[in-house]
Amino acid sequence: MRDQSKSGNWLTAVLLTPTFLWFLFMLILPLVVILVFSFGERATAGGYAGGFTLEHYANLSTRLKAFQNTMTIAPLGTLLCLLVAYPLAYFLALRIGPKFKLILLVLVIVPFWTSLLVRTYAWIFILGGRGIPTLLEFIGFEDVRLINTQGAVLVGIIYGYLPLMVFPIFVSLEKLDKKLLEASSDLGASPLKTFWQVTLPLSMPGIATGCMLVFILLMGEFLIPAFLGGGKVYFIGNALVDLFLQSRNWPFGAAISVTLVAIMLITVTFYMRMFNSKTGRDESLM
Amino acid sequence: MNKNNDKPITATKFMKELNRYKKGSVSRRHFLGVTGFGTAMAVMGTALPSLFSSQAQAFGNVGDRLIFATWPNYHNQDNLDEFTEMTGAHIQVNAFGSNEEMLAKLQAGGTGWDVFVPTNYTLSNYVELDLIQELDLSRIPNYDASASSPKFSGPATINNKVYAVPKNWGTTGFIFNSNKMKSQPKSWKEFFAAAMGEASGHVILHDYQLTTIGAALCALDYSFNSVDAKELAEAEALLIKVKPHLFAITSDYQPGMRSEDAWLSICWNGDGTQLKNDMPEMEYVIASDGGEIWSDFYAIPKDAPHLEAAYTFLNFMQDPYVQARDAAVHGYAPTDARAIALQPDSLASDPILHPPLDLMNGLEFGAAETLTDPIRAEVMARFKSA
Repeated sequence: MRDQSKSGNWLTAVLLTPTFLWFLFMLILPLVVILVFSFGERATAGGYAGGFTLEHYANLSTRLKAFQNTMTIAPLGTLLCLLVAYPLAYFLALRIGPKFKLILLVLVIVPFWTSLLVRTYAWIFILGGRGIPTLLEFIGFEDVRLINTQGAVLVGIIYGYLPLMVFPIFVSLEKLDKKLLEASSDLGASPLKTFWQVTLPLSMPGIATGCMLVFILLMGEFLIPAFLGGGKVYFIGNALVDLFLQSRNWPFGAAISVTLVAIMLITVTFYMRMFNSKTGRDESLM
Repeated sequence: MNKNNDKPITATKFMKELNRYKKGSVSRRHFLGVTGFGTAMAVMGTALPSLFSSQAQAFGNVGDRLIFATWPNYHNQDNLDEFTEMTGAHIQVNAFGSNEEMLAKLQAGGTGWDVFVPTNYTLSNYVELDLIQELDLSRIPNYDASASSPKFSGPATINNKVYAVPKNWGTTGFIFNSNKMKSQPKSWKEFFAAAMGEASGHVILHDYQLTTIGAALCALDYSFNSVDAKELAEAEALLIKVKPHLFAITSDYQPGMRSEDAWLSICWNGDGTQLKNDMPEMEYVIASDGGEIWSDFYAIPKDAPHLEAAYTFLNFMQDPYVQARDAAVHGYAPTDARAIALQPDSLASDPILHPPLDLMNGLEFGAAETLTDPIRAEVMARFKSA
């Protein structure tokens, strides 16, 4: 790069300008607006009015439950997603012939062709009283409540986010050099030991990426808890929807958004530190 | 073209044909033919039948689109389709769950809506916030101001200007499944007692501050519309106490009631009729200790992009036959006496849609200040996040 001509630098600048402008107008400026709003007042009829107050940050504790729910269900949902996705990705990458691989991969993607909203709405009927609970009654389990529970929300999360977890893991397993597995086996390692000492560590970048994708999106999730939690399993995302779209308290909503962004930055920074020190590789996440 | 089609059809004949059409025993073409709708579409601006006389000539240039914000289960798809067939304007429907949500969108700006359906108590706020336009009634000749009781249409007239035309009216009470519950709650007090008693775990409250906080206030013998801080604090305490017993907080309560997961819910009377039609064990109750009476309107936002289409749509929807067809699907009573005259007796005299006057004595129209009151808004938000 260093010995390239000036025109090369100029070209780089031109090519980067759209990205820079995008970041400036679509990310930085909106964040600044949110930050400014978070210190303002709620206008009489709702919305935003100028001012400077810390009152909204002082009020954060009234949404403690929502923060708690998000901070427990988002990591739990990510973990469950991983536990379901890993065997699936493993099977797709290492255990299946090329003929069926493509078909099965397409099947994983197909649900994405329909809106998550519609698919989540369908779960209301599957988990509702006339759905699975009726089947359970046949085999003697009376009065099982599935819908509008944390369990239902977790099912919705696993269902909705599974492809986001499957694909990064699939890619890292697919790239895995099969000779390493043979070598491990030749040197006398049991299949289980090979998995723990070769396959799993080598698929770590995929796991890390998948978990991060799912976790970040889950922290802002509102649709699944609203539909499958019946308004009773309440995430930060739901608090934000209420504040902006119902009670029209933009400054308080902005304060919660700023807090959420701060929590995410801290969590993700810790996560990357932890991960990179473990694998010793920087390219794994970025 | 059949000559007979040019004669206006009688009301009874219309309903008979409508029912035949709905049951599927006659084709859409036959239905449109005998009722005159077909003629209206066929002639489109030339030899006009009485139904669409005034606006038909303008049909040619309303544009290709109408953005319409309304409530779920509130229209007959056939009406919307027919508007598109007649005018060429496709209707994009956005359904909302509360007036607050509509206000929030309008306040944020750039909704692109041409027509929306606000409730009585919101109109004065919309005018004050300069969000809706004064209507030019000469462009809505199908609207007959004398056909609706001022009780229902009155809120649309502000400073002697008309800002909206009425749609339907109704009540907010509650519904319970009498197969599942032994008690027969008659009041909001009994509603909340049952919610924390025999119906625990099977109760739905609306995701809507007006009705949910209103119900709690009535149970405490306060006004449905109270904005008094102390009274609202008591209502919040009651709501938080009942929260562990709830099945859901949602304004989309029909699925829960139909699956019998829920036995007891706050309910609008049109949903009451829809549910009772399919499940006779459902009982709709106007609570003896208060509740809401309301009317809905069609209004045009200030920055409506397709104004011509908006007026044509308003005029179309004010046609009594169109109103009757809408009501046949959603179950709410039209405010328009001309439309009620076209309804079958079963609907026109339905006790849920047209309750005896003494039952409605305790009901209140929503008050304008409840829409913007910050305490009510925050009480609802806290109850949900509790």
